[in-house]
This record gives sequence, C-alpha cells and structure tokens, in this order.
Amino acid sequence: MASATLASPPPLVGGGWGEGWRLLRAWRRDSVFYLFAIPFAALTIVFGLWPIVLSVMTSFTASATALKSVPVYVGFANYTAILRDPLFFSSLGLTLLYAVLAVAANLGVALAYALLLDSPLLAGGRGFFKLAMFLPVVTPDVAGYVVWRWLYDQSFGALNAFLHLLGLPAFGGVASPATAMLAVLVAELWHHAGFYAVIFLANLAVCERALEEAADIDGARPWQKFCYVVLPQLRPAIVINLVYALIQFLKTFTVVVVMTKGGPSGATNFLSYYAYQFFDQARYGEATAMATVLFAIVLLMATAVYALGERGRV
Amino acid sequence: MKRALAYAIAVVASVFFLYPYLWMLVSSFRTTAAVLRDPLRWWPERFDLSGFASILQMGDLSLLRATVNSLAITGASTALAVLATALGAYAMTRCPRALAFRLLRYGFLVTMMYPYMLLVIPVYIVVYKLGLLGGYSGIVLFLAVGPIQFFLFEQFFRTLPAEVIEAATIDGAGEAAILFRVVLPMARPVVATVAIITFLLNWAQWFPVLVISTDSDTWTLPVALLNVNGELGTNFQGIMALAVVTTIPVALLFLAAQRQVMQGMTEGAVKG
Repeated sequence: MASATLASPPPLVGGGWGEGWRLLRAWRRDSVFYLFAIPFAALTIVFGLWPIVLSVMTSFTASATALKSVPVYVGFANYTAILRDPLFFSSLGLTLLYAVLAVAANLGVALAYALLLDSPLLAGGRGFFKLAMFLPVVTPDVAGYVVWRWLYDQSFGALNAFLHLLGLPAFGGVASPATAMLAVLVAELWHHAGFYAVIFLANLAVCERALEEAADIDGARPWQKFCYVVLPQLRPAIVINLVYALIQFLKTFTVVVVMTKGGPSGATNFLSYYAYQFFDQARYGEATAMATVLFAIVLLMATAVYALGERGRV
Repeated sequence: MKRALAYAIAVVASVFFLYPYLWMLVSSFRTTAAVLRDPLRWWPERFDLSGFASILQMGDLSLLRATVNSLAITGASTALAVLATALGAYAMTRCPRALAFRLLRYGFLVTMMYPYMLLVIPVYIVVYKLGLLGGYSGIVLFLAVGPIQFFLFEQFFRTLPAEVIEAATIDGAGEAAILFRVVLPMARPVVATVAIITFLLNWAQWFPVLVISTDSDTWTLPVALLNVNGELGTNFQGIMALAVVTTIPVALLFLAAQRQVMQGMTEGAVKG
C-alpha cells in the first residue's frame, strides 16, 4: 500500500523515545484518514455497536424501567422467565425446523436452476431466465409476500383456482396449520432463491471445464461427474450460500408479519416474530433476552458452518 | 429431446417467478367481484381504475405523501450511504494497519452479523435516547450502513494501483485532493453500482421505518402497503394497486441496470 512506503523504518535504538516518535508520526500521517472515516465510524457505532450493547444490557433490566435513564437491573430474571415459557421452546423448535427446511429447499432449487442455466443444453434465453429469477430478489419483500398471501387465498387466489381447473384438491395455504409453514417457505423461496442462484452461477463460471471433459473421456456417468468433479469445485459458493441462508432463515420475519401473524394456531410463530410480540407489548427485557439467545444461535451456527467449510478445503 | 426438457423446466421455473407480477398487475385493474368470479384471467375485462383511486387517500396518509416519503428517505439514505461508506472504506484501505481502523472494521462485521430484525428493536431505544423518534433523520441515518456497500468499496480500493496515489503525491497533491480529484473519478462505476443497489435495498425497507415512525406521516410505500393489507374489510383491488405502485419503480430500475445489480450483489456477498 502506498501509505506503507511513506513510513520510515522503526528506529533501532532508544525504545521509549523511538516508539513515541513513531506513534506521533503515524498519527500525523493517518490523521486525515481518521477525518475521512468519521461519518462511517459514527454510523457504525451509533446504529450498530451501541444498539447491540444496549440490547444485551436491556435483557438484564426490568422491562418497565428499560427506557428510563437509570434502569433497574434484575440479573438473569428475563432469561429464566423465557426459559420457563413453554411457548419459547416450541417457537425455538419451529424456527430451527423451518431454517433447516428452508435452507435445503432454497439451496437445492438455486443449485439446480444455476446448473440448468449453465448447461450447454440451453441455446438461448439464458439472460431472460436469469432475469426472471432475480427480479423477485429486488422486489420489495412486503409487496411480494402480500401478493403471495392473496395468491393462496381460498376465494380470490389464483393458486386454488388453478388446482381446481386441474381437478386437484385445494391447497390450504396460510389458512391451515398443516400447510402454513410450506406456504411461507414457498413464498420465501420465490423471494430469495435467485440470490443464491447467481452466487452458484458466478462460481460455475470459474469452474475448470477441462476436468469435466477429462471425466467424460474416462467414461464417468453424469451423476459421478456431478458428485466428484462439479460439486467439489462449488465448495466456495456452497459455504457462502449456507452461511447467508442460515442467517436469513433463522430470523424469518417479514413473511410472517405479512402472511400469517405467527398463526394459524402458532404454526409459524418463529422466534424473531415471537420476540417482536414481546417488544410490541413493551416487554423489552424479555424481548431483548430472546434476541440475545437467537443472536447467539445464529452466530454459533454461521461460524460453525464457515469453519467446517474452511477446514474441509485443505 | 433433452434440450426440450431443459427448456420446459426453465419455462416452468420462470412462470413461478413471474406469474405473481402478472396476477398483481391484472388484479389491480379488475374489480374485486370480477376476481372472485374468475381469479385466473390473463387480461382484465376492462381497465377499472377504482383500485388506484381508492388508495389515493389511506386514512391520514395520502399516496402522494407515501411516495414522496419513499423517494426522499431512499434517496437521502442512499446518498449518505455512498458518501460515508466510500470515505470510510477508502480511509481503511489506505491505513490498513491503524489500530482504530482494525477495531472499526471488526465492530462493523459484528454489527452486520447481528440479525437485522433484532437490531431494529434496540435501535428504537437508541433513536429514542437521541430524541429522533418520529422524524426522518433517524430513519435515514439507520438505513445508511450496509455490508454490501462496504465490501464493494473496500474491494475496489484494494485493487487500486499504488502508483496512482504515489504519482499524485509526488505532484504535491494533498490527501483531500488525491481523494476527490484522482480516486473518486476512477471509482465512478463502483459508486454507481453501490448507489443503485442501495436504492433497491432501501426502497424495500419497512421495519425500521415502521419502528422509528410515531405516526403515518413518515411512512413509506411498503409500510403503507403492510398497513392496508392488515386492515379489516378487504379492499383487495386497492391492495393490489398499492403493491403495483410499490413494485414498479424498483422493477424498472433493476431492468435498466440488471447486469450491474446482479454482478454487484454477487461480488458484495462473495467478499463478505
């Protein structure tokens, strides 16, 4: 870096003095850059780090005093309160189940679609198919989920009208506890899969084609070629997508607010929505305690996946 | 035969991705009764504008106000995000070894790992403490930090050849002159990409807007849509009309800048 070349080598003698001079000189050299970084640093601290610290602190206070200048600290009372709440555990279980299903569905569909768009079987129209897949990603999620909510509707919805036309049984959508999670999952798949697919596509673009040709010459079956030649090369995209998708679907929220409000009968009451309900009732202590627990889970799982992905690289 | 199958799958998938747009558009021009009779029409019987008329005024909030709010909040937060992030990322790549910057970068990464929905709740408390609740500034400031923006800028500045800056230094230019006359003109493409992506992402934001607002005066289009959708007594046609108004601007922007958007979001994510 250019700035590094401007720095003089550290003095060989006189530790204390030399060190002081070096720091002073570094400070003078860097000071203009500190000025440049002030707005970014201020935004990161005030709207990022401070809220996180505050959130953790609030989880140790009594809700009624959380917004006061001198909140009353209650230790782990909020944590023991949520740990005694059976709804918290069923919500946590639902969240984990949904995250696993949604990650698998999204990455499966995204990978399949990316492989299809990348395959020589398609002569033209790639640009259009890619565009169709990515448009939902940049569509405001509220608008997309509102439309899906009505597509599922029993009387208005196009989906059940279409199933009826084909003579198939009606789909319960978000109205039935048995199908609500699936309905939410499909709507989220519509919104997110395109993002994971372009990451797979970017990875496929740098894959070594010669390896596939060599596998062909060696008489590998398509399935063997996929498992032993293509998939290992996609490791970077798989790791990135796994981390992103895990973070995404562990905190599924907007789709629940728009389509189900946690229902019917709690079938989609995921943790971030459950925590939000406490916040909405001004029970800040319990809400932030749940947020902290969810944050710990997200952090743990994301880091674990990332570490596993890195270790397997060798 | 194989090729036909590949196209069949691609077409079915595209219908899955695109049909909701068609249905939303067609339904916004059909009366609720007409949709109830036949939900599957490909084209409206006639173009009925009563849905759009019904959302011109939504309670205390006019459609005009919500649209202006959306444009103003998205525009201001985008400008601020581009400026602050470009300067910050530039400073941090120029002095990568400065302790303060290493701490800042680490703190930023932690922030970005915190689940967004849960960050909004403590942000409410922060905005409350700053006395910015109910105004535009709290919303704009909160929407001005994001990971994709930072990683795109950082990546660009890291690939900037050191000779460019050395040459300018030898010519006697100060750091400010180097930044504004040499580096930023070179960064124009990445500035454009970041600006477009930030606009698309911030246009869709609804939760921070709702949480920081104290009444509907500062609501944006997605918040208004959420509210109309949640009301009792269904104005189905109006909901579809508002969904159209919310979606069309960003859909057009995306179609105009599709390569930049897809490439930028991929790079921003891969570096993260």
